[in-house]
Amino acid sequence: MASHGIPRVSGASLDKSEQAKQKERKQIDQYKALESEVTDRIKARDYSNATFQATSKLLSQNPEYYTIWNHRRRLLQDVFARELATGPSGPLIDETDAAAAQKAGLTLAQHEIALLVKEDLLFLIPLLKQYPKCYWIWNHRSWLLSTATQHLPVHNSSELWQGELGLVTKMLSLDSRNFHGWGYRRQVVKEIEQLNGSSMAESEFTYTTKMVETNLSNFSAWHNRSQLIPRILSDRQASSKQRQTFFDSEFELITRALYTDPYDQSLWFYHQYLMATLDASNDQALPILDPCTNTGRVDYLEREIDSIKEMLEGAEDCKYIYQALLEYSSRYIEVEAGNKKVSTVELREWLDELRKLDPLRAGRWRDWQEQLKL
Amino acid sequence: METLDNTEWDVVISGTGLPQSLLALALSRSGKKVLHIDHNDYYGGDEAAFSLTEAEGWARKHSNSTSEQSVFSKAAVRTLEVNDAVKSKLGTPRAYSFALAPQLIYTRSNLLQALVSSRTHSQLDFQAVGSWFAVVNDQNDPDAAPRLIRVPSGREDVFRDATLDLRAKRSLMRFIRFVGSYDEDGEREKWVQFREQPVHSCLRDQFSLPDAAIEALLALALPPYANIEPTMATVVPRVRQHLQSIGVFGAGFAAVLPKWGGLAEIAQVACRACAVGGGVYVLGKGITNATKSEVGVTLELSPGEKIKTQWLVGCSKDLPTSGSYTSDLKDNSGAIAKRVAVISSPLTSLFPPTSEGGPLPAGAVVVAKSATSPRATVQILAHSSESGECPTGQCVLYATSTGSDGLDVIDEAISSLLRSIGEEPVPDILWRMDYVQTSHDQSDNGLSVDGPIVTLPSLSIDAVYEDKLLNSTKEVWQMITGGSEGAFMKFEPREGIDEDEADDG
Repeated sequence: MASHGIPRVSGASLDKSEQAKQKERKQIDQYKALESEVTDRIKARDYSNATFQATSKLLSQNPEYYTIWNHRRRLLQDVFARELATGPSGPLIDETDAAAAQKAGLTLAQHEIALLVKEDLLFLIPLLKQYPKCYWIWNHRSWLLSTATQHLPVHNSSELWQGELGLVTKMLSLDSRNFHGWGYRRQVVKEIEQLNGSSMAESEFTYTTKMVETNLSNFSAWHNRSQLIPRILSDRQASSKQRQTFFDSEFELITRALYTDPYDQSLWFYHQYLMATLDASNDQALPILDPCTNTGRVDYLEREIDSIKEMLEGAEDCKYIYQALLEYSSRYIEVEAGNKKVSTVELREWLDELRKLDPLRAGRWRDWQEQLKL
Repeated sequence: METLDNTEWDVVISGTGLPQSLLALALSRSGKKVLHIDHNDYYGGDEAAFSLTEAEGWARKHSNSTSEQSVFSKAAVRTLEVNDAVKSKLGTPRAYSFALAPQLIYTRSNLLQALVSSRTHSQLDFQAVGSWFAVVNDQNDPDAAPRLIRVPSGREDVFRDATLDLRAKRSLMRFIRFVGSYDEDGEREKWVQFREQPVHSCLRDQFSLPDAAIEALLALALPPYANIEPTMATVVPRVRQHLQSIGVFGAGFAAVLPKWGGLAEIAQVACRACAVGGGVYVLGKGITNATKSEVGVTLELSPGEKIKTQWLVGCSKDLPTSGSYTSDLKDNSGAIAKRVAVISSPLTSLFPPTSEGGPLPAGAVVVAKSATSPRATVQILAHSSESGECPTGQCVLYATSTGSDGLDVIDEAISSLLRSIGEEPVPDILWRMDYVQTSHDQSDNGLSVDGPIVTLPSLSIDAVYEDKLLNSTKEVWQMITGGSEGAFMKFEPREGIDEDEADDG
């Protein structure tokens, strides 16, 4: 199985020999035994290192088993609590540990927690590589780091989160469209920003540029870009003129992309986002222009409708173009009742093309026809 | 060692070039008794890799005109007129590994699939071939420095390319989409019409592509070495192979090269697999005579040993040429000139990263047209020191051209390339080796079977590894083992090797 060219399984062949089948049966038996070992130990409130190791073994085989991740967190919490309760004069203090903790400016408990967290983060890396779309692995990382942030000084937790940013960048270079990765990246960036007290919107924006230049069909990168724009503009304290320049350069970018490939839906989504920021009634998209006047709206709508019309040449079979033309035209008619730019004849033609190109959505096109009173 | 005299074999493979070695790999689990010999005292045959000293020895051996035994001739190592400071940059002989077969392999090629399914890929190191370039001379100003243009090799490149205006981007993408669907129902009519048209006029008139974009596409297609204008039928499938290979093994590259000396590495690993499976290897042993009998062939080996085998397989140059079994391959004198050149600069601008977070390429392709004879094209495969073929701070260029003046054209092209890089001073050639390689005119699969004697097709001398080679390996493997097509090169892990571990590798 593969989606957008990224294989999802490790390529195990389906037609197995008898020998391989036998091996698999043996593995299943071992797995079952391991599973009951873990659940029995947890039931017996055995929070020992042996139980912890057993969860590692089980989760390596089946990271989708979320109950086991819960058990694992309970075990870790138990260790953390014990470390914190022991205090500096506990009976079993290793002198080298104590020295290391002192050197790092940490209490002994903090030192131990940091070690355990780092160890568990390392344990997750091969799993994450093998199962990059498993919710529970991402979730467990997030829990480890949040817990570390609670217990450790800012300097140490910030270092951990910085490491996470490196990891998620690596993961996104392996699969640039992994939305788990993008969501996690936003969380990591937010934490670092909070810990350091400075915005990373600019560098993250540059990162989305690099990512779409590597692969235009990246819904997540375009989405992230749109989320960063209002923050960048406010961070920069951009003037009206600067906002307009920014807006224009985003249109230039997406127009270049749409000329390159008008058949790519992710690009149209971003174009729609830019257009939506002009729409006063849309509270999902913060305006980029400030002030966003009616004249400004009309100007941009006219310009984009013209530009998209030109895009039709050589791509007459691209339904997204007609869809965009109709959508933006209906908004244009709303704000500019004079209706100079688009004629009813054109609207009908576009709708006819859509009916031909996408007959399965006939109902939708009929609705549109009624809405536009064609 | 023990004598081979009077031994009996199921299969004798002659020559350790890539075609023969792939057959050895295919037979490595067949239970057949395999003897694999080579008249050379090194592995790899026509696809071998050499250190600097070995290359000099090889060149001396192939300095004369074409011999019966070899496709190589006119080999010569040239010492350039450079001052001592430049000469001293040349590393120790062992620091170099020059590939006779530096062919690039597209990521969708059947060769890579076979290496994975036969579990040999983990013994190989593949590196990305990242960028394609065209060296363009200014038509109006012959004194102007030639320009190096990166060929847009996919949608994102077209999007980023600042030299293409919006319309050119659109036209280029329209052609690229056609390339993806030319054999489908909707486009078939168009394809029938375009197939035999010369590339330049068709792309200009039918796809409104500007001249620069046409040259770029031709560099991407790397058409076979020939002095005639290629047709759409030659170019379109090659562009398709390129585009469909991008991103298969990682972002930003379409082709790979095996580290440490090109296809020689694959041949070696394949031989090793056959040896692990019980195959016997003897170097420095050729076949002087072969006589067919009812049950197979009787062979005379070089020092007078006689052996028997059910099958004898080799490329035509590795099999005795006299007797009734000579293959009907014609020597069609498709001679091409080749040059291996060590450059005094890493030429970093040829190996830029091609994607965010992707691998740093170790290979690049440069296509240069001659200013003096415009039909002549030079294809240059550039390998960085990451390929393990030269010390850091240098790179190796493998240049190829056709025709009798091939070497002059190569001279011109390399000099244009070195000037187009924009480095000051212009990098020097520290060492170079020239030779001529003759290709056989092969029928579609080039395989020829005469009873128990099978002649394998040679590797195509083009810049790109072609899938037909492995297809004929499969045919021969089926002939010998009777195995089903689906089982070809599909191996389970060997006893004692943990499957999971093998997969992780």
